[in-house]
Amino acid sequence: MSKKLSLSRRTLLRGAGALMALPLLERMVPGTARAAEALPTAKRLAVFYVPNGIHMAKWTPSGTGPTWELTPTLQSLAPVKSDMLVISGLANDAGRPDGDGHHAAGTAALLSCTKAFKTEGTDFHAGISMDQVIANHLAQQKATRYPSLELGNDAGRGIGNCDSGYACPYANNISWAGPRTPMAKEARPKAVFDRLFAGVDPGTTQAQVAKRRAYGLSIIDFVREDATALQKQLGATDRRKLDEYFTSVRDLEKQVDALGQQGPACGVQVAPGEDEDPRTKTKAMMDLIVLAFQCDLTRVATFMLANARSNKVYGFLGLSGGHHAYSHHQFVQSNFDALATIDRWEVEQYAYLVRRMKELKDATGASLLDSSLVYFTSEIEDGNAHIHRNLPVLLAGKGGGAVATDRHLRAPGVPIANLYISMMRAMGVPNVTSFGADGTGELAGFGG
Amino acid sequence: MRWLASAGCILLLAGCKGDSLPKARVLPGDDNPHAQNDECKDASKDPGRVTLHRLNRAEYDATVRDLLGDTTRPARDFPADDHGYGFDNNADVLSMSPLLLEKYATAAEKLVETAWSKGHLRTCVLEAANPEPCARDILSRFARRAWRRPVTPDEVNRLLRALPLAQQQGDPPEMGVKLALRSVLVSPHFLFRMEKDPASNTPRRLDDFELASRLSYFLWSSMPDEVLLQAAEQGRLRTPEELEAQVRRMLADPKAQALVSNFAGQWLFTRALDSAEPDPTLYGAFNEPLRQAMRQETELVFQEFITGDHKLRDLMDAPFTYVNDALATHYGLPPPGSATPKRVDLSGHSERQGIFGHGSLLTVTSNSDRTSPVQRGVWVLEQLLCSAPPPPPPNVEGLPPPVNPHMTMKERMALHRSLPQCQGCHRMMDPLGLALENYDPIGRWRLNEVSGAPVDATGDLPDGTVLNGGADMRRFVKDDPKLPACLTEHLLTYALGRGMADTDHCAVKEIAATAEASGGRLGDYILSIVLSDHFTSRRGDPEAQSP
Repeated sequence: MSKKLSLSRRTLLRGAGALMALPLLERMVPGTARAAEALPTAKRLAVFYVPNGIHMAKWTPSGTGPTWELTPTLQSLAPVKSDMLVISGLANDAGRPDGDGHHAAGTAALLSCTKAFKTEGTDFHAGISMDQVIANHLAQQKATRYPSLELGNDAGRGIGNCDSGYACPYANNISWAGPRTPMAKEARPKAVFDRLFAGVDPGTTQAQVAKRRAYGLSIIDFVREDATALQKQLGATDRRKLDEYFTSVRDLEKQVDALGQQGPACGVQVAPGEDEDPRTKTKAMMDLIVLAFQCDLTRVATFMLANARSNKVYGFLGLSGGHHAYSHHQFVQSNFDALATIDRWEVEQYAYLVRRMKELKDATGASLLDSSLVYFTSEIEDGNAHIHRNLPVLLAGKGGGAVATDRHLRAPGVPIANLYISMMRAMGVPNVTSFGADGTGELAGFGG
Repeated sequence: MRWLASAGCILLLAGCKGDSLPKARVLPGDDNPHAQNDECKDASKDPGRVTLHRLNRAEYDATVRDLLGDTTRPARDFPADDHGYGFDNNADVLSMSPLLLEKYATAAEKLVETAWSKGHLRTCVLEAANPEPCARDILSRFARRAWRRPVTPDEVNRLLRALPLAQQQGDPPEMGVKLALRSVLVSPHFLFRMEKDPASNTPRRLDDFELASRLSYFLWSSMPDEVLLQAAEQGRLRTPEELEAQVRRMLADPKAQALVSNFAGQWLFTRALDSAEPDPTLYGAFNEPLRQAMRQETELVFQEFITGDHKLRDLMDAPFTYVNDALATHYGLPPPGSATPKRVDLSGHSERQGIFGHGSLLTVTSNSDRTSPVQRGVWVLEQLLCSAPPPPPPNVEGLPPPVNPHMTMKERMALHRSLPQCQGCHRMMDPLGLALENYDPIGRWRLNEVSGAPVDATGDLPDGTVLNGGADMRRFVKDDPKLPACLTEHLLTYALGRGMADTDHCAVKEIAATAEASGGRLGDYILSIVLSDHFTSRRGDPEAQSP
């Protein structure tokens, strides 16, 4: 399954990530001065998305405020109950589609609270997602190599319509850098690992680092000139496509420019294997998120357990039908039971991430969770009627003291965009007073 | 797939009233041929415009294979491409992202190092004292092929700037050349298929190189080869005769296999077989070897349509297929005595004739634990007749009635017709799928449902026609006058990498008519598309003009 990361000059020269891999140099070698250095106290955000909604009867805690009990579906959160804020009642009306297409429209609006333009492709657009607003803000500190990581288990089925006339980017991406720029996600743990850690050579000198930076920048200069010259020959739609290229070039430039920059300690890591079993794969993805935080390679990560409208068959849970098929439960008890089984498993995976975050300590000896936010949600509430209100929402972590945890907050009908405004502010984004289609201010009760 | 979940009616369908077929979602229009002729007589010849097209993963891999001889498929490490209008070569949804550009830069370095070490790119000796002439030679040859067009001396001069940079850094000239080669592979000229926009809305004919790339990416999912590139350089692609000769040559090339995996794989849903998960307790006979044999069957049958003398519509009832022993046994056919697929004659086994007898299609249009007449019916309507029911009106959310698990499939489907808001569309969808009820969720022939109840494979169409099983059903589809235009619509969507709009209606009809008049083979359809204005021209961007 797993193999030790091998560090050689050859992987440095030829391996993935070689353009920008050198800053890891010292982090990867236990025993150097930096290896003793602890993780800085910083705000971090992780988002955990599940498709097809939740069977709320076994999800929603009965109590309110600080007197609440874990429900059957939330049972795996027991070890971190004091770090949890459960919020019931939030609505994302921007997720309602024109006609059908609830999953795609709901997913495009999941973190953007913006209505997706209905199209199978031409001129698709939604809005910037809150994780990207946060990533943009944190990127100004130039603390990490990647402004954000986008991960998911599904590469996509690759056939047919994704959802009733809504383009596939809506169904397959929760993270959007802008209205027309979904942040493509990595669906293979091994590829994520290679990107983060491969191509590291402990024997490289600072002079070699400088050379790689110069070469990397020369490629960037060249292709930017190409793109600039091309702009003049293209129409408006094509120039927008080229803008995506310019944005990507700028990001790559920042990475290359930061070659040689110092980072905190990070020991030699073990690469995950190639395994499509959702249990193994999900755990590998959670470990990679934790690792990326631990090595301070990024401070924002989003994860899609499956793409919107997933019809995954969870055979290992003893289920024979597909997830989406069950979600159209038609009020049949056996479908409710199947959904609750899937929901419980999903929360367990999220709980694993939260627990790992809680175990990690920063420079002050505090848990990483104290300064972070770990968010769980789905694009709808009930899968049968496609309800975009009373969404399932979990928040773990105190966000540096911004969140009052160990509570069940009820906020019936309140726009979920208001939660995002509170989250963005907790993460340090200044002056956010509105967001998406209906965010008007902070979520009352967020801080207690 | 809109109907994935449903045995009950999820949707309230407003567009399917009456006894007529639902109108085409993408190409509305009268099905009366005389009316169409009138309608299209004065139609504008707008070829439409294709958005700047980033190479998708399949195209990237095929292109570096042909450019560098590299068969490592580096795009497997790239994030998955989204798809639109049924295909993942849809330019509108092929986005660029920071992650992807980073992957391109990483792949470029690896590709260049590998090719350089194999000596593929070194056409001359880089002399330390005067490396420029050889570097110029290497870079202009490479950039011409990678960018699929002639390069200007100025462009080569810019690439050559990598030489003094390498020298400054104390590296030999070959380092500079490799750096320039990497730049070529990260440049937008390589990653995108460039078609310049005319200054006005007036359509223009593509230039020779733009046309060559459209041709090669349509038929091969890859770059033009030397023969095609030279034909473009000599201005020969402007005649229909030459275009036809190129199409025939290219379809005979093994690279045309790309049409099987990329076009047919998505049109016929064969790709979805990878993620099919039949319930192992009910359908334990489904296993990996069978999955592979099913995929190969559909691929080999379609492959034969590329070069063979079959009418495209014969896909509905082709009297041959390709099976190995395992799949033959699965189907109840005599095993051909081979672990690899063999071509077998089906004249004595009519139930396996045509794609509706393929395990691949029957499996991917089923739920994991039962058949879905709705999915099968919708597949036929969308992929073969382009008559998918329209989406329901805004803000309608219907609640389905509870389903009694003891009902037969026919009884379940009858529920749709008991609800006025469901029956309009389901009266068309359900009978097409019900006629295939003799095929279980993994494509086996059956006479009884899981419950033991006998299969009722009759479907009553809105006009009173009764489809009695698969044979009736495939004849019905094969004879449907909408079939040629629908085949064209899917093929043209793939050929252009853009979705069809109302304005494409007449062009689609015309291409279909020409193809049918020339013999109706897949090659005739392809040629009819390649010779059309839609394929050879583009218009400017009405949204705004270039500055």
